[in-house]
Amino acid sequence: MRIAVQGIGVVGGFGSGRELFQQALVSGHTRPTTYPLIHGGVPLEIPAFRADTERLQAFVPLRALRRIDRFSRLGLLGAYLALDDAGVLSEGRQEKLGVIVATGYGATGITFAFEDTFIKDGDNCASPTYFANSVHNSVAANISILLGATGPSSTVTQFHLSVPSALQTAWLWLDEGRVDRVLFGAVDELSELIAYSFFRRYGLPPAGEMNPLRLGEESAVIGEGAAFFLLSRKAESRGGYCLLESVETGRHLRSWSPASAEELLIIGADGRRALGAGYAALAADANLACFTSHYGSSPAGPALDLAAAALMLQNGLTFPTPVSGGCDFTARVAAGGAALPTNRITCLTLGDDDGFGLIRLKQN
Amino acid sequence: MSSVPVAVTGLGCICAAGNNLNECLDSMFRGTRAPRPPERFFSNHPIRYPVFEVRDFSEPRHLLRTAAFGLRAAAEALSDAGLEREQLAAFKVGVCMGTTVGCAVSEETVCRAYRSGKLPDMEPMERIFRSNPASVIAREYGFAGPCQTIVNACSSGTDAVGLGAAWIRAGLCDVVLAGGADELGRITYIGFIALQIADETPCKPFDRGRKGLNLGEGAAMLVLESESVRRLRNKKARSFLTGYGSAGDAYHLTAPKPDGAGLKAALAETLAGNGTVAESIAFVNAHGTGTPDNDRVESRVLAEVLPGVPFFSTKGYTGHTLGAAGAIEAVFTAACLELGKIPANAGFVDPDPELGAAPVAQATRITGTSALSETLAFGGNNSVVMFSRGEV
Repeated sequence: MRIAVQGIGVVGGFGSGRELFQQALVSGHTRPTTYPLIHGGVPLEIPAFRADTERLQAFVPLRALRRIDRFSRLGLLGAYLALDDAGVLSEGRQEKLGVIVATGYGATGITFAFEDTFIKDGDNCASPTYFANSVHNSVAANISILLGATGPSSTVTQFHLSVPSALQTAWLWLDEGRVDRVLFGAVDELSELIAYSFFRRYGLPPAGEMNPLRLGEESAVIGEGAAFFLLSRKAESRGGYCLLESVETGRHLRSWSPASAEELLIIGADGRRALGAGYAALAADANLACFTSHYGSSPAGPALDLAAAALMLQNGLTFPTPVSGGCDFTARVAAGGAALPTNRITCLTLGDDDGFGLIRLKQN
Repeated sequence: MSSVPVAVTGLGCICAAGNNLNECLDSMFRGTRAPRPPERFFSNHPIRYPVFEVRDFSEPRHLLRTAAFGLRAAAEALSDAGLEREQLAAFKVGVCMGTTVGCAVSEETVCRAYRSGKLPDMEPMERIFRSNPASVIAREYGFAGPCQTIVNACSSGTDAVGLGAAWIRAGLCDVVLAGGADELGRITYIGFIALQIADETPCKPFDRGRKGLNLGEGAAMLVLESESVRRLRNKKARSFLTGYGSAGDAYHLTAPKPDGAGLKAALAETLAGNGTVAESIAFVNAHGTGTPDNDRVESRVLAEVLPGVPFFSTKGYTGHTLGAAGAIEAVFTAACLELGKIPANAGFVDPDPELGAAPVAQATRITGTSALSETLAFGGNNSVVMFSRGEV
């Protein structure tokens, strides 16, 4: 079975929507902004790729968003953009739609806010609304409620491998005939707790920029965003961006075999030093691309890799890989703006515990 | 959906009812339960709500309690299946876990220190990042197959079992460890009290006087095995997973849809998988949290879809173990089907005329070849798994 990617909705430091994402990818550069933290009582600004959810109001009335936190808003915006892109929003209630969401950290902003309520005022002053929204599956729930989607719904948390892991479930649901279509996506938000943990773990990147193809240095810039896709079985779909050929997850990937020498490999290297060598080894002889400098280090990043791949396959053009900070990889870095030399792209994500995800896409 | 049965060759469980499956079954059939105010953490809430804590268990310092529960249940399930660590190296083994707390990035000590302008000790956060429940098991045993943690609130464990079976059917794995784990903690304790759905007394699922749930903790795991591996090992199945269904209410973040539409759809998908008829259902292990809304909706759906089929909730023995609940109850379901009897619905004394049906009030012999375990979750998820009798 092959799966067709019929709609894409993306939100990130580059803006929101396919058009702005593509513009950023073509330009080869997206500048991070900053995120405010307190470090030992001292204010600090760390570089960050921050997303804006303002555009959600074009799809959902403000009144309906009153009790919906930022994490869910990010996901909802990605979801609505994907459905709009696929031209199915006008169909009304999506009763046969499955919803699958990948998130590395969940609703951390509202969880932090919930803790504030009882830390400040005592355990009997905890906010029930904040608590209700703090569950990891709140995005999937809010999507289902607003769209009237009564099909199955699932949320997956496997940190940076959440995307390939969740996509494998989407594949199985379509393969087993559980649903006609799946709205699959990933979302992760920036919150004080996550940003602070990130800062303590990785420090500040040199010159405030990500150099994901440099080895031996921590250059990760934290990011947030969402990427959603409307997926359907190929036989039942028309048009679309590309086909999903296979999804493989597991541990201990020792080699990667492209279908041809020109097959493009998009890697999820995001400036975290511990993973750089693994990517470099697996991509040693590959025709390589890496776009994380447009959206930063985020568990949702692999879904944005997937969106970049889908756009390249649809357009038949390559996007430039930002390498201004240098490149220590031996792989061939694909030139931007050239005709795509292959009809296949593989997205590789590495995670903790020697875990991996391999997603193969093909031109439709 | 595919109807191919998937063999269950091992079961493991730890919760307040017992530190292994046999202890749990013994205590439930004896009708004992001992909810108490939490001992492992403090709350300054004026009321001390009872919970079901696991006694005589300590987690290692580097892991969350949730992950440690998962490891304990996995070890029991693998032992029950007769699978040695070395033997497993020859197979592609996947791990599919459900949880809620086990993936929550909510570390109160770090929050407090950060808010007060101190430099927080980040080890508690690192502990969270190294304690993904599925990853911990895969890492411990060196498994190379798929690894997934499902965070669908209270249906997580049920969905993990359903997905694990799909991995076997799709040929992604030879063996899958599927289940769920969750720990008790201050965040959920305070949160459920804030939602006003916690009972100040021992919970009373389906009883007229029910006022809410008591939280619990624990884990349960099932070993799901492909037919090729079973043939190779000449291993008999304790049970077969013969159905799974899930559907959304698309209604409310924390309340079930009053007409139970999502639960009915999940039941329909489960039963349609292999054409099971209601007459062959021996019993239903209900979600039965003891909250007024859940028990009303669930009992009415059962009365309509499976009239006369005996049902019960085990939360009166275990508490509501959140992301572990679906797995713990799936394990109890498979085990009770094997034993041919079900325990009394603890806490049920007074039938509620508003409910569509009443649970069993005492331990009951059952007939029938299949049994269901169902969960309803925050977010409107409804999930059901069906087991059929095994070969032992």
